[in-house]
Amino acid sequence: MATGAQPRAGVWTTRWTTLTLVLIPVGIAINFVGKFVAQALKLPLWLDSIGTVLAAFIAGPWVGALTGALNNIIYGLTVDPVSFWYFITSVGIGLSAGIMARLGFIRSTARAVVAGLVVALVATVVSFPINIYLWSGQTGNVWGDALFTALTLRGVPLWLASFLDELVVDLPDKVLTVLIAFGLFRALPRRLLSQFDLGEAGHRRTA
Amino acid sequence: MRPVGLYVERQSPIHGLDPITKLSYAVCLALVPFVAGDLRITFVALVVNLGLLVVGRVLREGLLALAGVGFFLATLFIVQGMVYPGNATPLVSVGPLVLYQEGLAHAAWLSARFINLTLSAFVLLFTTRPADLVDELMRAGLPPRVGYVLLSVLQIIPSMAARVSVIQDAQRSRGMETEGPVWVRMRALLPVLGPLVISSLVAMQERALALEVRGFGAPGPRTFYRPPWQHRLAWPVRLAALSALLGALVWRLAG
Repeated sequence: MATGAQPRAGVWTTRWTTLTLVLIPVGIAINFVGKFVAQALKLPLWLDSIGTVLAAFIAGPWVGALTGALNNIIYGLTVDPVSFWYFITSVGIGLSAGIMARLGFIRSTARAVVAGLVVALVATVVSFPINIYLWSGQTGNVWGDALFTALTLRGVPLWLASFLDELVVDLPDKVLTVLIAFGLFRALPRRLLSQFDLGEAGHRRTA
Repeated sequence: MRPVGLYVERQSPIHGLDPITKLSYAVCLALVPFVAGDLRITFVALVVNLGLLVVGRVLREGLLALAGVGFFLATLFIVQGMVYPGNATPLVSVGPLVLYQEGLAHAAWLSARFINLTLSAFVLLFTTRPADLVDELMRAGLPPRVGYVLLSVLQIIPSMAARVSVIQDAQRSRGMETEGPVWVRMRALLPVLGPLVISSLVAMQERALALEVRGFGAPGPRTFYRPPWQHRLAWPVRLAALSALLGALVWRLAG
């Protein structure tokens, strides 16, 4: 990667160009299509944040956070009003994915798995209080809710049962989301990536 | 190509109302149950919303869309009926599973609140073109760049969704399997998403250039193509919605 004389991007550096701004709607559209494809293939996962993670990989944590926030706002304004409540979750996913990328966690597949675990944990920590407030702890996912019921009946406290309910769904979903975004990121042409400050995310082994 | 969203093109008094008024209404009415914390108030809000869907001539579409969450609401009743912390009075028992009266009542409250939230939003969503809403939000002070992002999402999604089926067909003709066990279907993700995402990101560069050439980044104020959307009932409706929310607050504090 030709970084040349330009200063290397820090974790929070963002280059606010028109290209960065155009990346956001494309990221949101990728989220939408990922969810659509997951449903078409009848996968037991959401896969509705691939675009947020990819935008965060390319343009940093702030752009990831903004993509996540606007994703849920536009989704709430067109299809599903409940997604407004979860916009903080999307912001958390975008921020954590961007930070992990800039800290050098998408240099190899093994590191990307770690990044995926972190994103999953952040998403869970942010979501489960919302689940407790709105649904007394449930997520609406059959497997997660079955676990929730079994745990609560055995006397596990509500917050812990709710946390685990969200975690069993988010863990596979977010790790796979980050790995897919990682694969897509590596396949992007350098001519495109050279227009962004990639920071540590730009140092590829295959360079 | 089907546009994104729930909007139904039709003539009605609700369709004629300006988007900002409908947005204020939807936000206020959706929050009423959360503020009031009372099932009876929630039912009043529900009836008002159903009435407006009738006036907006979109009741059938609204109820059909609501049916999609029926399964989730059913799990809410089953799980809360079993595990709600206040459970004391057994009502029904199926084998080893016991449903309690308190849990079912709690599930009813959660669902009523949720259905009201959804119907409040439907009053806006089924009667308002998303592009009109974003236009009016920009006029009210939303930064034009954010407005661009929201509007272009609405244009990009249908074109990407159309390309998904083209790519799926192409990959299937090369032997990609889209049916079978989970791991087989999972393997179909990358061949579909890969070409789609990469081509969209490459096309993004051209879009950025086209915008730059047309003065997207230029400083100075922006003007609007369409005149402002005015309606004589705009302020009365906004004030009524706000007083409903305040009324709910008073109810909570007094009760």
